[in-house]
Formats: sequence, structure tokens, C-alpha cells
Amino acid sequence: MSMVQKVRIESLGAYLPDKVLTMEELLASCRRRPPWDLERITGIRQRREAVGEYAVDLAVQAARRALTLSRYPAAELDVVVCASISKHNGENEFHLEPATAARIARAVGAGAARAFDVVNACAGMLTGIHVLQGLIRAGAARCGMVVAGEHNMPVARTAARELRHRFDGQMAALTLGDGGAAVVLDASPDSASGFHCLDLVSGARHDHYCYSRPSRRGPGGILVTKAHGLQRKGNEHFPAYLKEILDRSGWTLDDLDHIVPHQVSVRAIENSARAVERYVGVPLPPITRVSADGYANTSTTSHFLALHRFILEGTIRPGDNLLLVSGASGIVISHATYTFDDLPDRYRKLWTPGASLEEA
Amino acid sequence: MKRRVRIAGLGASLPGLRLLHRGSRARAVEAGRRCLAAARRRPAEVGLLIHAGVTRDHHVCEPANAVFIQHRLGINVEFQGARTLSFDLVNGGCGMLDAAHIVCALLQEGEPRCGMVTASEGNADWRAKGGRPCPDSGAAVLLELAPRVQTGFGSFAFLLRSEHADMDVTLVSLAEARGRLQVQRDPGLEERWLEMAGPVVDDVLARDGLDRGQVDRVVAAQISSGFLARLPQAIALPTERIANFSGDLPATLSTSVFLALQREWTLRPPVAGQIVLLLAFGSGLAAAAAVYRC
Repeated sequence: MSMVQKVRIESLGAYLPDKVLTMEELLASCRRRPPWDLERITGIRQRREAVGEYAVDLAVQAARRALTLSRYPAAELDVVVCASISKHNGENEFHLEPATAARIARAVGAGAARAFDVVNACAGMLTGIHVLQGLIRAGAARCGMVVAGEHNMPVARTAARELRHRFDGQMAALTLGDGGAAVVLDASPDSASGFHCLDLVSGARHDHYCYSRPSRRGPGGILVTKAHGLQRKGNEHFPAYLKEILDRSGWTLDDLDHIVPHQVSVRAIENSARAVERYVGVPLPPITRVSADGYANTSTTSHFLALHRFILEGTIRPGDNLLLVSGASGIVISHATYTFDDLPDRYRKLWTPGASLEEA
Repeated sequence: MKRRVRIAGLGASLPGLRLLHRGSRARAVEAGRRCLAAARRRPAEVGLLIHAGVTRDHHVCEPANAVFIQHRLGINVEFQGARTLSFDLVNGGCGMLDAAHIVCALLQEGEPRCGMVTASEGNADWRAKGGRPCPDSGAAVLLELAPRVQTGFGSFAFLLRSEHADMDVTLVSLAEARGRLQVQRDPGLEERWLEMAGPVVDDVLARDGLDRGQVDRVVAAQISSGFLARLPQAIALPTERIANFSGDLPATLSTSVFLALQREWTLRPPVAGQIVLLLAFGSGLAAAAAVYRC
């Protein structure tokens, strides 16, 4: 393993809107209900839907939660990176500038921070972490925040209005959900915990599998996905990168305590796990953590909402080794190996049932 | 001491009518091709591509524009062999300097060997409310570790005044089909940027241990002729040291600084040891400065 300065997740924040929307309720709202049993096909039972809140609000809530746990006050953050895809920061508005990070910095009081947005589809937060890790290692920042708020449900609602047939490209939009996540990063005080390797690669020849833009038929934004092609192409290539990052980290599959994939859908994750098993020739240990059943696909926040869930459930503990895996439109394949410090214990202690943000 | 990162090449797609290169993406690709040619580098050598443009063709928000640009420039488009990471960085007029700073940091940490920053503006939305944000343009800069100790980028400084975040807003209204660009700019914007110019210059010079007398040229975003006329007083530097191309180079948002730098170095080729101060201003409100030693 290399001896470069490790960067750790010093704090984590997650925010899920209160409203629960089941797959059945979403399908019932479709103008032409798809003939598929999407709950069975995707394994997604429900998601959260933001009502009266926008993407920036979800991000701010997550950022505040992360700062509650962090030893850094907002005023000491050197950098705020926002990685949201869905910059629905107002009713029927998609914001291009200013950077959403500037609005978040203002809301949380990060007055000394520089702020910018990073956009890299569902690999956005991992890309933001890669960028911030580089700035910390280069000495250009002491600590910073990577945050995202995904207000995806307007896109799902457009799909519900516009779906025309059973193979409509907008079908995958029905797997989306809302949520916010934030991490505070700083230099790890020891060589054991923190990110060991963080690897991202863009296979730009495959940029056509998934895209999002305004609808041509009416109001709202749409997400068009060739889901099978995207998954097939991703599964063709990502196991080799997974093996490579384990090798670079000096790990084997047996060293892993958790694999946290991007939460596209339960079935997609199962297919990806089978692709890895075919590549490595041995069965994967039962350590793949799936939260898509309850939160659906929350885009770039999905890894960190899964961490939130499995830390609170007590599954993830201090010292555990983690592999984060992501396949995003582009296609961007990303992997990260990480060892936790005492964050899971601190997180659980703060967010045990009954503890509110105000109490904390 | 960390090695500096230098500009290996610049490429521009200047404002003006283009029949073959219309739209934001095409402008970035045109600038990127020229940049690679100027630097005499093969596309495969680019291990990191950051696109810092604000406007997007057809308002596509996913995947990253950088991925499309990577594809059209033929930069390691497949997963086999050499690899490239591409993503967008959005920070209005300061985006290219933000991205350049990140490429510098990653190059100094040993990954990758060569990085490109592109930016472009251009939009097919001719119905934009509040006027079109700026004319179509593209800019690209190729960065690599400098072969000599004293050349390349020195310090960067960034200043955010987020209390003024609502003074400069560009959004796509999704209330109607295909979306509609809306630009909201406060008339007092240039005044706020001028107030930020002095502090950000103080900061970057202090970080590099320089005084104002050592700065040979200032290349700033060409926001307007009035802005550039008032900039010398705001940053306490003489007018003759400030590159002013506002007569024929309009404000082009994210591309402006590097278009101006390309124009500057075309008219006055850089002299070894010359210190250039790059200055950008953008929404947020943000100001960015960088010291570059030729």
C-alpha cells in the first residue's frame, strides 16, 4: 500500500424527507400504468418524496446533520463541494448558476469556504470526495464538505405522466427517490483508517445509455435510460476494476466487511454481484448492503444513505473495511476502499431513536 | 518542494458565427482539439478532463458534459488500456480557475500525468428570458508537471460572498416543454466584483510571497470595458499592466479568462520569468486569482 496521506470521513449526515411513497402508489399515479410488476422486478418497495422542499433544501439538511456530528464548525470548512444532479432548487426550476454549493455554504454559515459544484451523474459524491481528497493531500484544504441533495421525484412524476408503452425509456425514472447526504472530510490522524484507494474511470464511448434533460412533450425533466444496456456494459467491465482496486489496497474479498454498491435497484445489485462472482470465480460473501428496497435510487446520495441505514442498524462498526462501488451514466465506474474509524459509534450515539437534531 | 504545474497548451473557439461548431459541446471540442495540437499531445495522454462550462446543449444535465467532450476528442473512450476520468465542475465565471487548481493538486499528487480543463458556452435556446447569457465560445487548457522548478502555477486564491448569491442566477425553467433559459443579473454585479477584486489579489500575492511590483501582467475576465477600466484602481495596479481586449473580446462567462490569456500570449508571447496574474469573477458571488510564472 502507498504511504500517502489518508483522508477520512470525519462526519456523515443524511436526510430523508418524511413522506413515504410506495411503488404501488407511484404506479397508480401513472397515466398509462406499466404492465410490469415493478416492485418484484426492481425490489424497490418504497421511497421518500420531498414535499415543499427542493434539492438545495435536502442538501442543507444533510449538511447541517453532518456538521452536528463534526468537530469542525461550519466557519472552519475550507471547501464545500455540491455533487447534486437534480438541481431542482425551485418549483419547475433547474439551476445552472450560482453553484448550489454557494447556497449551501450560505445556509450553513461556511463563510470562509470556497464553493463549487461537481457533476458526474450518480458518481458525483465519489467524484467530489476524489477532488476534495486531492486538495487535502496537496495542502490546499484542511477540511471540507461534499454534499448532495437529490430531488428526483419531479422526474419520476414526469415519467408517470408521459410513459407511453411497456418499453418506454423513462421506465427507470420510476425507481428514483429523494434524499440528501453529506460528508465532512479531513486528513486521517492514523494510517489505518480512511480511504485506501479511490478510483474513477469514464468510458465515454458509452455516453448514450442514460441521459436527463427537459421533456419535449410538456413541463418537467425526464430521465431516459437504456437500463439493460447500461447494466450489461457496466457488468462487463466493473469486476476487473473491482479486483484491481482490491489488489492496490492489499486486500482480498475476505478482508471486506461490507460492499456498498450504488443503489440502482435490488435486482440490479444482485446481477452485479453475480457478474463479480463470474469474474473472480468464487461466491461473494454475504456482505453486500442494499437499501434500495426502502429508499429507491437516490442518485449520487445512495451510498451514503445506505451507510446511514446500516450504521444505525449496527451492521457497520468501527474498524470495518468497506468497498464502495458505483456505475453511473457516462459510463463512469468508480470504486473506493475505506476503513472506518470510530465514526459508526459516534453516528449511532447521536442518532439513536428519539434523539432529534435539536437535542443533538 | 512540490513541482509546479505548467500550461502545456491553450486552445480557443472564439466568439463569432460558426456553421460547423454550434452549441456548447462543439465549442469545447473545437477548443480541445486546438489545445492538443498546440501542446503537441495525443488525446490518449489526457488522464483527467474537467469541463467548467455553465450552459449545456438542450439543457442536458446528465451525464457530465465532460464525458461527451471526452468521447468526441477521442480521449481513452473505452475501458481497456489507458484511462481517463471526466467530470463537470460548475462555478460560473470562476469554474476554469477552480478546475485548474484541482488539476494542479491531482497532478502534484501523482495522478494523472496530464490534465485538460475545458469550458464552453453556447445554447440553442433562442427564447432565453432575460437575454442570452453570453455569446458562444470555447476554451481549453492542457496542464502538466513543469520541467523546470520556477515555471508554472503558483498559488491560487478564492473568495466567496455567498450573501450575494442571488445577484447572478441562470436557470432552466421546466414549466414548458424543452425548458427555457432564464438569466437574472443584478445591475450592481460589477460593483460587487470590483469590491472582491482587491482582497482576492491581496490573498494570492501573499500566499506566493509577491508584492504588486513583481506582477508583470494581469489577465482578467473580460467582463466589460467599464469593468476593466475600473479594475486597476480596485486591485491597485497600473492600467498598462492589465490586458484589455474588451473591444473585440466580449464577456464569455466561464471561458473568458483563458480566451484572454490565449489572446495575450498571441499578441505578446510570454517571456521567461514573467509573472502573470489571472483573475476571474462569477456567480456565487465568487472571485478567483492565480499566479502563473512563465
